[in-house]
Amino acid sequence: MSARRPGPARRHALRRAGLIIRIMIIGAALTLLSGCAGWGFSGSGGGKTVTLTYALWDPHEQVGYQQSINEFEKLHPDIKVDIENIPYGSYEQKITAEFITGGAPDLFWVNTPWLGTFIKDGILTDLTPLIKASHVDMTQYYPQLVAMHSRNGKVYGLPKDWDTIALYYNKAYFAKLHLAVPANLSWNADGSGSFVTFLKEATTDTSGHNALSPQFNPGKIATYALAVNNDPQGGWGNYVAEVGGKVIPYPYAPYASLTTPQMNAGMSFLAKTLTGDHVIVPGTLSGPNANGANLQQMFSQGQVAMWEEGDWNTLSVKSSVTFPVGVATLPIGPNGRVSVFNGLIDGLNAHTPYPKQAWELEQWLGSPQSQAILGRGGYVWPAIKSLDPLFLQYWRKQGIDMSAFLTEAHGQVVNFPVSPGIGDALTEIVNDLGPAWLGTEPVSTALQTAQKDANYVLRTS
Amino acid sequence: MSVATAATTLPKQQKTTAAKNTAEERRARRTAFAFLAPSLAGVLLFLVIPIIMVIGLSLVQWNMITPMKWVGLSNYVNIFEFDGFGHSLLVTAYYVILNIPLQTAFALGMAMLLNSKRAGSAVVRIICVLPYLATPVAMGVVWNWFFNPSTGIINQALSHIGITGPAWLSNVATAMPVIAFVNIWQYVGYNMLFFLAGLQAIPPTLYEASSLDGATKVQQFWRVTLPLLRPTLLFVLVTGVIGSFQVFDTVFVMTAGGPGNATNVASLNIYNTAFSGFRIGEASAMSVVLFLVILAITIAQFRYFNKRTTYEIA
Amino acid sequence: MTSVATAAPTATAAATMERTSRAGRSVRTTLFYLLLVVIALIFITPYLFSVFAAFKPLNSILSQSPWRPPTPPTLDNFKTIFSQYDFGRYLANTLIVTVILTAGQVTFSMMGAYAFARMSFPGRDSLFWLYLTTLMVPNIVTLVPLYVLFAHSHLLNTYWAIFLPYVLGVPYSVFLMRQYFMTIPKEVMEAARLDGCSESRILWRIVVPISRPIIITATLLAFVFGWNNFMWPLIVTNSNSLNVLTVGIANFNSNFGVQWNLVLAGSLVALIPMVILFAIFQKHIVSSISLSGINR
Repeated sequence: MSARRPGPARRHALRRAGLIIRIMIIGAALTLLSGCAGWGFSGSGGGKTVTLTYALWDPHEQVGYQQSINEFEKLHPDIKVDIENIPYGSYEQKITAEFITGGAPDLFWVNTPWLGTFIKDGILTDLTPLIKASHVDMTQYYPQLVAMHSRNGKVYGLPKDWDTIALYYNKAYFAKLHLAVPANLSWNADGSGSFVTFLKEATTDTSGHNALSPQFNPGKIATYALAVNNDPQGGWGNYVAEVGGKVIPYPYAPYASLTTPQMNAGMSFLAKTLTGDHVIVPGTLSGPNANGANLQQMFSQGQVAMWEEGDWNTLSVKSSVTFPVGVATLPIGPNGRVSVFNGLIDGLNAHTPYPKQAWELEQWLGSPQSQAILGRGGYVWPAIKSLDPLFLQYWRKQGIDMSAFLTEAHGQVVNFPVSPGIGDALTEIVNDLGPAWLGTEPVSTALQTAQKDANYVLRTS
Repeated sequence: MSVATAATTLPKQQKTTAAKNTAEERRARRTAFAFLAPSLAGVLLFLVIPIIMVIGLSLVQWNMITPMKWVGLSNYVNIFEFDGFGHSLLVTAYYVILNIPLQTAFALGMAMLLNSKRAGSAVVRIICVLPYLATPVAMGVVWNWFFNPSTGIINQALSHIGITGPAWLSNVATAMPVIAFVNIWQYVGYNMLFFLAGLQAIPPTLYEASSLDGATKVQQFWRVTLPLLRPTLLFVLVTGVIGSFQVFDTVFVMTAGGPGNATNVASLNIYNTAFSGFRIGEASAMSVVLFLVILAITIAQFRYFNKRTTYEIA
Repeated sequence: MTSVATAAPTATAAATMERTSRAGRSVRTTLFYLLLVVIALIFITPYLFSVFAAFKPLNSILSQSPWRPPTPPTLDNFKTIFSQYDFGRYLANTLIVTVILTAGQVTFSMMGAYAFARMSFPGRDSLFWLYLTTLMVPNIVTLVPLYVLFAHSHLLNTYWAIFLPYVLGVPYSVFLMRQYFMTIPKEVMEAARLDGCSESRILWRIVVPISRPIIITATLLAFVFGWNNFMWPLIVTNSNSLNVLTVGIANFNSNFGVQWNLVLAGSLVALIPMVILFAIFQKHIVSSISLSGINR
């Protein structure tokens, strides 16, 4: 093997290594800079125009919000808004990670499961002084929504929409049965009441017998009367509220209250009584952990007559069913008719580089002008009470009467629980309740496990 | 020669009294450290310091936004009681048990089969190694398609012979075996190469001598081949086990830990705890425990093989 | 006397034996080739069928059998993922960070390996043992603290974050190349030193040219690692615009999982370059097993 004889000049090893290092650093820096400049970093363009990023997750509502943003940009020529769609499954995690990194959107939707965490971690701006200075009329919104998004007198977002839970029902099926859906059904914790009777009338087996008939065959059910899932908002949350139970005893509580007699009564009514009467879709058919993943398909295929869910499902219900759809209010429990009430806000990033412009956008989205656009197009119920008829009208034209949701909003409601970590706690609770819904564990045992796990999450969040 | 002998036979640095030598030596040392500097910086910054950090982080409660809170060893208790980490370790061990023995057996079997001069063996040997470079995430997507209960080829092929295939990835009984299968498919060829090298290092005279003594093929396998393959076996098993305990990409793309918790392997649990839940303390405690588990198993493997390994041939 | 009489049946017996063993041999041969075909099919069909599917429209994938080639093949899936779903950006990102990672890792590992192999300095052996012990630490253990480090250095969500932990040289590469360098006779370097060569000249002009096999191996290993890396880029990047292929494919899969035509096309963008790499370098991959010297 030959080696070239070196010249008299010796090159220092450091210089050679240093040259390589320098070339690489320059190369890397160039690629990095070229990567930064044009690609996907929000921020100001040239001159005085400010570009804000606004994050949301629902692609249907995004259409309505884009219309509202277009109006906003006309009124504020120096502010541009980029809407960023982040899928719901990773939404909270992404916003948190981006906040840690320093690149979170200026405004972003906030759902109540993580509202408490975001407030506690200082991710949301306290809007109280801005509201005062801009004279925003807070009385135009549903008072429960303002209360939901306040803590210790500080308001963290202008309410922009609301939702309640009601029963979508298959009009064709009930017409075939010559059964009218009564407006005021009631139930008692012992399983008596007009609600259970009605459910039995509405459950039919493959031979056409309903559950009141002695020939009813529970092994061959063609259509269940009702679908309720293992969910604190769209499912059991309403029933436990109607009997006086609470997931957490008060907002921002660091522990849960799942082992109360009321929680037991409400949960047993569904998981034991109604399941045992074969009038609701059993947990095994509903989805993993009885989470209701299969219920929409079952409803559209006529295997369940009434599907209990929140009004945000209306668009997908309409597009997936071939029969006319009606909406009935929830039944009346021992404490009355109570629906879980929820609403989103647009959180203002506490570290936004453009607080003034972000506040302008927040104000706009909380204003009657913007919320009218969303309501008129049937995207969401506006949080401004006076604008609700717009949403109602839109859906009436589409053939679905949404007034049941509105009736409940004007009646008794219980706010979706708020506390740091409540989102994760509710996930644990739902997982731990699965066996009760599947019939493999008594309700009280499942609630005790859920309480233990929820307490841990709430305590350490 | 082994790493140990290599390290100990290198000469130690000598100090000389001549001034010229000292200056040269100093220059030589500076050069050496200059050569070493980048990788040393990398090792210190990205390996040593993080290892020290993770132990410290495992003793606090922290979400990266609000201040840290000292909690001592309670994270180590909580990850088992509340975060299902014990279950994750069990599930991961189940995966390793499904994966490694089968994969090693197949690799050895294929090596013996393909250690042949017949036409086509060389081509098939190469084909077997093709999956080794495959991007696990991309391959997981392909296997998702293969194992799809309605549109996937596996169930379609089964239906042709009258069997209704299960929902492979939604069924608790089949989800983990499928993940193990995917991993076996990807790495069996690569491990086969190690066994091939080991097989080819065995002198044919040993086989000749033993068959003259009347040994059958089976006896030759157990008495000649296997003992001489033990170093290779040790390497394949140790690296396989260490790698398998950290399985992530395939599970993330194919099952995301489901159905239920059936495939919620340790690294997935750590990922979710740290980067979805932002519970840095608990995730760090999980990392430390996982490390100790892997270390214990590796030491056990070495001990087992050290008692039985034959290095010398004559 | 009886030799002719006994010779004949012996001959027949021998002929029968040979015939049966020949028959046995051909049975074995058939079995062998059958196994060969089965094995080859097992390893090729996933690639083959996904290539077929990536060139079919979705309804063809759902209606036809997967082993039917696309008739006619369509480029629409690839057009869609590159124009509508940012796969071009993902590909570019992956190339950039992988090339930087590979160049740095090989260069700096080689320098470290040379120092450990053929230069003498105090603490050399202890430092090498340090490198070796870090090999025992599983990757996952350093993930969380590395993330915290990068977060505090404000390096998250940048190209730097993706390649930095791997670009300064890694112990495995150092170990691999050091073992190889130690097989180069010491006399070669000492002769060059006596001639007045600097160490870096020895490394670049003498050692590197004769170490091409191991350097190619190390380069391949680094490139494949960088290309296939998933968990680390997943956690350090937030913006879509910084996604590498693995992260892009995983996101795409979770959002569009049932659109097999697009999802498989996306996977192929990552898989095909690796197949090409394998085809070019398979000799090196196979021979690198003996280079790592695990039998010693």
